[in-house]
Amino acid sequence: MNRPAAPPDREARGALPPDFLPILAEVSQQLAVSVDLGRTLRESVAYITSYLQAEAAAVFMLDPAGAELECRACVGPVDIHGLRIPAGQGIVGRTVAQNACQMVRDAQVDPDFSGKVDSSTGFITRSVLCAPLTTAQGVIGAIEVINKQGGGLFGEADRDALRLLAAPTALALNIARMAGDLVEQNRIKRELGMARRLQRSLLPKRRRGSYPLRAINLPAREISGDFYDFFDLPDGRIAFALGDVAGKGLDAAFLMVRCASLMRWAGKEGLRPSDWVARVNDELGEAIAPGMFVCLVAGHYDPASKRAVWANAGFPPLLRVDAEGETEQFPAEGPPVGILRRMDFPEQETSLEHASLYLFSDGVTDVRDSAGKTLGVDGVEAAVRGLGILPPEPRLRALVRELRQLTVTDDTTLMLIEGDSPRAAQETNWLDLDFPAQPQELGAMRHKLAAVLARAGVESGLRQALVLAVDEACANIIRHAYGGACDARIRLRLSQHDNELQFELRDFAPCVDPATVQPRDLEDARPGGLGINFIDALMDSWSLQPQAGGGNLLSMRKRLAEPAEDEAA
Amino acid sequence: MKQCNTEQQGEWTVVKLGGEVDLSWSQQARRAVLDALAKSQKVAVHLAAVSYIDSSGIAALVEGFQSARGKGQTFVLVEVSEAVLAVLRLARLDKVFAIRSALGEG
Repeated sequence: MNRPAAPPDREARGALPPDFLPILAEVSQQLAVSVDLGRTLRESVAYITSYLQAEAAAVFMLDPAGAELECRACVGPVDIHGLRIPAGQGIVGRTVAQNACQMVRDAQVDPDFSGKVDSSTGFITRSVLCAPLTTAQGVIGAIEVINKQGGGLFGEADRDALRLLAAPTALALNIARMAGDLVEQNRIKRELGMARRLQRSLLPKRRRGSYPLRAINLPAREISGDFYDFFDLPDGRIAFALGDVAGKGLDAAFLMVRCASLMRWAGKEGLRPSDWVARVNDELGEAIAPGMFVCLVAGHYDPASKRAVWANAGFPPLLRVDAEGETEQFPAEGPPVGILRRMDFPEQETSLEHASLYLFSDGVTDVRDSAGKTLGVDGVEAAVRGLGILPPEPRLRALVRELRQLTVTDDTTLMLIEGDSPRAAQETNWLDLDFPAQPQELGAMRHKLAAVLARAGVESGLRQALVLAVDEACANIIRHAYGGACDARIRLRLSQHDNELQFELRDFAPCVDPATVQPRDLEDARPGGLGINFIDALMDSWSLQPQAGGGNLLSMRKRLAEPAEDEAA
Repeated sequence: MKQCNTEQQGEWTVVKLGGEVDLSWSQQARRAVLDALAKSQKVAVHLAAVSYIDSSGIAALVEGFQSARGKGQTFVLVEVSEAVLAVLRLARLDKVFAIRSALGEG
């Protein structure tokens, strides 16, 4: 075979015997493909022991805190697997501390030799060879061989061999440690997911339709320190509670679960809010980690009398907003629960006749704007006022949308108690427009109507159709009822009743006989008369009523699709 | 916003409508369509820029269609915007009119 001339032998290579390479290859290979590190380490240590003709050997690993060295594998007459020694002690400790090979010819005279194992087992350590296990992150342990068989001493060649064998050992240990970390991280992630599902399962199911209470919880992380709850009492009142556990993370989440359970347990008895909170404060105070506490508010709402009564324990002020947009804040009058037993939690109350009550955790008030300034209760108040006209559910969602545009760093929980529940209040008034019966007025009317329908959450296709129907109705009033453009008025009102939109067009023209206003046959393509067809096709129903005292009222109704299930669930 | 121009494109007289065609000026659109039919055998109404049309605007198109058919003229709608198409469908006129994506052939 033609091969290029081999480089001249170096002195250093001569130091390692020719049988070393196979053992290095074998140990490296074993460690590289290992799926059971404990077993592989033992086998590797056994190889190394026999290759270096030692009586015993051991691999020590530094614990993550760097405080102790633990024996992870050993070979020899004494099993020291699991033995822990303080970092920095013994010859192993010195190896790790200096990150350098140690060759001790007579352990008994070495100042660092402890001799503990020897004295308890009868084994006599004479010579020691110890090499550090080094990775990119620094020293992670050491490999130690003891007593050359036959009473000889370890030589330079043994030291170099051990150093070389230490490299793949360190690598394998490091990979095993990182894999362990990853498994641990995945396990924690899985368990956090379970904790999150458990927490969510504690939150009450969302109620639909006219139920006067809505709530939403957005955790800042997987798990939340906030909770809310509401349930019906046998007498028709609704009990509600909202809490915010100090701190974030697992301990806060556990306390949240405990506190939420206590609240529900105590709340089912229908105790007065002050007694309810006091009972939970006493129970919680029996066992709570030092420095932990819960801010909460708990109370009752009576849909019949529209009165809300609550006790506020260190929770942010409750905010009452009435139909005129006037606001009132109710700051806490009691301390947070879990700090001191036997505390008083004064009751507060208000009427929600034509008013809403907002309850929000400090995650809401602590929302920061782009300048880093917190929103505060006044900021929330301003945001709430801006949403006045929306029905409760869209209003809460719009508020959350607004908050999300700002940065939310804490858990965010919002509850809304609506005095004028959809059933009681019947409707939302979206639009009330009055304009002269002139064709030039119709464009502006259409644009205003489209904008309001968009705000009501009507999707664009349906929006265009509804605008067309209303426009056609107005055109008919101008042309047929009034007999042409004039300065008489047309009044358009749009209201919403649950999911039904109602359009009302009032004119002051001579009364029209409803029987004369009928859709025509579309198969007959001819100009004119299409408007009423459009109204008929686009609305669910319509009616034309001559009004006492003159004029006509055209009512058109359209039912909107149920809103899709969303994050507010 | 309204737009109503008539221009000649080869043998076609094209009435270009744009903006919101409603009661306030649909008579003007109707006049433009009928005028075009009075002087040309082939009339197209271009509707790409129409963002809204009500039944009075549709009526103007229907009248043009009927007039042309009576006299053996060609009357087509070209580049019909979605807004117009939705209303044509509603009136079930989308199958009545000759609707073309562009004025090219014929």
